[in-house]
Amino acid sequence: MEKREVLFRIKRFNPKKDEKPYFQEYKLTVPKGMTVLEALQQIKDTQDPTLAFRAFCRSAICGSCAVKVNGFPKLACKTQIFNELDKFGTDTLTLEPLDNMEIIRDLIVDWDKPFKRMEEMKPWLVPDPEVVPKTLDEESRVYPNELKKFDSFTDCILCTSCFSSCTATQIDENYGGPFQLARVYRFAVDPRDALKAERSKIGYAFDMWNCVRCNKCADVCPKHISPVDGIMKLRGLSIDVGLKDNPGARHVMAFYKSLLESGMLNEVLLPLRTKGIKGVLENLPVGIKMILRGKAHSPVMKPIGEHETLIKVMKAAMEVE
Amino acid sequence: MLQFDILIVGAGGAGLYAALETSKRKGLSVAVLSKVYPTRSHTGAAQGGINAALGNVAPDSPEKHAYDTVKGSDFLADQDAVELMCEMAPKIIREMEHMGLPFSRLKDGRIAQRPFGGASFPRTCYAADKTGHVMLQTLYEQCLKNGVKFLNEWFLLSIVHNGERVSGVVAMDLRSGEIHGIRAKAVILATGGHARVYWNRTSNALGNTGDGTAAVLRAGLPLKDMEFVQFHPTGLRRTGILVTEGARGEGGYLINNKGERFMKKYAPEKMELAPRDMVSRAIETEIMEGRGFRDDEGNEFVYLDLRHLGRKKILERLPQIRELAIDFEGVDPIEEPIPVRPTAHYSMGGIDADKLGRTPIKGLYAAGECACISVHGANRLGGNSLLDIVVFGKLSGEDAINYVSEIGFAPFDESEVKREEERIDSLFSSDGKEKLVDLRSELSDVMSYGAGIFREEKKMKEALEKVREIKERAKHVKVYDGERTFNTNLQQTLEFLNLVEIAETIVLPALERKESRGAHYRTDYPKRDDENFLKHSVVERGEDGELRLSWKPVVITKYQPEERKY
Repeated sequence: MEKREVLFRIKRFNPKKDEKPYFQEYKLTVPKGMTVLEALQQIKDTQDPTLAFRAFCRSAICGSCAVKVNGFPKLACKTQIFNELDKFGTDTLTLEPLDNMEIIRDLIVDWDKPFKRMEEMKPWLVPDPEVVPKTLDEESRVYPNELKKFDSFTDCILCTSCFSSCTATQIDENYGGPFQLARVYRFAVDPRDALKAERSKIGYAFDMWNCVRCNKCADVCPKHISPVDGIMKLRGLSIDVGLKDNPGARHVMAFYKSLLESGMLNEVLLPLRTKGIKGVLENLPVGIKMILRGKAHSPVMKPIGEHETLIKVMKAAMEVE
Repeated sequence: MLQFDILIVGAGGAGLYAALETSKRKGLSVAVLSKVYPTRSHTGAAQGGINAALGNVAPDSPEKHAYDTVKGSDFLADQDAVELMCEMAPKIIREMEHMGLPFSRLKDGRIAQRPFGGASFPRTCYAADKTGHVMLQTLYEQCLKNGVKFLNEWFLLSIVHNGERVSGVVAMDLRSGEIHGIRAKAVILATGGHARVYWNRTSNALGNTGDGTAAVLRAGLPLKDMEFVQFHPTGLRRTGILVTEGARGEGGYLINNKGERFMKKYAPEKMELAPRDMVSRAIETEIMEGRGFRDDEGNEFVYLDLRHLGRKKILERLPQIRELAIDFEGVDPIEEPIPVRPTAHYSMGGIDADKLGRTPIKGLYAAGECACISVHGANRLGGNSLLDIVVFGKLSGEDAINYVSEIGFAPFDESEVKREEERIDSLFSSDGKEKLVDLRSELSDVMSYGAGIFREEKKMKEALEKVREIKERAKHVKVYDGERTFNTNLQQTLEFLNLVEIAETIVLPALERKESRGAHYRTDYPKRDDENFLKHSVVERGEDGELRLSWKPVVITKYQPEERKY
């Protein structure tokens, strides 16, 4: 069977003892099929009992073992070493703790912050008395197409990989976080929930408009969930419940209006519609440059050809949603 | 000292349900202590579903559910407890449904149900193949809603009692490494199973090391039916990771190297959906008689073939299984059959408890896989464990509320904390002549050899001797990591020491039960013997440190023992 000599560079840190994190190197002969978790355990068993990492189910369902493998969050238990080596064209694997959380020791991070944040966002069903029966003699009816709207979000195993790579989390202390906001959306579209779309107000209070749609949360999710998709839909719900008077909502509405008017994005009017006069003033220097170089279009735009077809498509898309 | 009216140890389905129940009562102080964050618990790995006679797909009744369960148990289950569980099943399913649990649905919006092994009707409610996962998440959400207090990443060390009443536990905060006494009027153990005894081939999480069960043994209290360990028929070839029974429930075939659906020889009527003990023995027999497959690494296996189910059904009903097969075996079940072999899976035996979870010590309860109530007897049916944990989690929670509201705290003997500190200190200063990793593997090998799927006197005697030898040698295992912060070297050592203690309690009654019943199959006594062994085994550790075996009658209400045919 194929075997390879692999160098593991593992980030070590014990805040009680070390001034700062450092890398320690371990060499291991790795057979085909070995996972990162199996390698970590083998290093611990045969080379260094002090190496600290979390692991539990080893079958990608408990969410304990997420670490960064060559820079990307992965569940150690289901990550095949050969696959990573081939992908990066290397014989070295760098293992680090997840980002956006404090390190407790080595690869173990402090989950309290992301989980407490989720708790603040009320991630539990509040039963709608119109839908959920009062006695235990009956079930509520949930139709397969209703379940489909939120089912994928219930796959979340709270591994915090998305939280670790979230750009908005890095810069905004108040930002709800990807898996947390996605869970708010999960309940907002559950027909059994009493709060329903009103839950989007929670998303609003936790800065959901600060998501920059970098898509990293969806890229790293080991369960193939797209938190950003849930966040976008939660934004939509917030507009539905009337949270329109804010830059995020106005920005989206400006796009929408633009398409209705001409089928093209009206970039000249966009700052005005999103942020008002303040937006115009902010964007003035860029605007002037654009005009001077002939890049700016007129504020009045002619509709594109087949504009009416576009409007039909947009309406159909909204009905599907 | 930390102090709670009720302390729940373990945060899987049983622990969280008990917590939910107790959180409904205002004014009680309750905490859940768990060595992992609650949603990591192994309940989450249960895939296929949870049984309840809802009758949504075919007419069904709690009586039929009870009968199937008793028959599945090879008549060793206590029938009053089984009846209670099956009677409560539909209501507790609806209760969780009302909490938001995302069950898969029928076209008319009701909860869908699928066929499972040993069941007369499609009775297993499910959420695709992630039933345990969504159950754990839903219960955790509701616990957050009710403000349940959690002590996350704390490790149970011992149970403190005075021979009559429980007074609390000693536990270690893994993050700081500090050891604490925790006083409680009632303690509910929901610490899960111990199939990690079979370390090298099991579906269990790394931490399913029977910590509560071992603590009960050390506390001088009885364990019941420990010889019964379930081997799940379909573990992945290399890792033993679980492939749900739902895969066969949806119509999957088991195939040998002749291309035959060999279950027709063993259970002509139920075929692949015979109970787990029978299917596991069938697979092992095929392999032993040369009709299995063998890979380059020497792994032997048979095939679980799902291809005829078609892409759509696999993606919709078994998406997680598909992904596990791809990630861990490099096999896409849509294109190729999955290589499988039985894997140590479930502990039917455990802490001796009655149908409200009560142990012989007042205020000490056990619920879920760590407990032996007993509703599974000699063999558990698929889909009954998720049911067991929520029903008896709830009932033990209810009973604990009543108990603590009438009683004060029992005196807590603080020397117990000191004793645990000394036990742990000694692990740091041991001579290190033995290695944890070697002993753990030896233990696993000898348990598979002597107390695996097929058992016989000679092998079991060898195994018992060897387990006792390993127990002695384990005194020389050393913890090399000298730090107290999140010392996983220490944790893994403590877990291994629990496994060693439990291993002995499995082999001893297995040796004395001279019959074959459910998962306990003896080649030297291949028949069930109701005259002599229709009874529970009970193991306790005496003051001298030796194990003592006794027997206890089975509760029979209306289902008389009969031959088990499928």
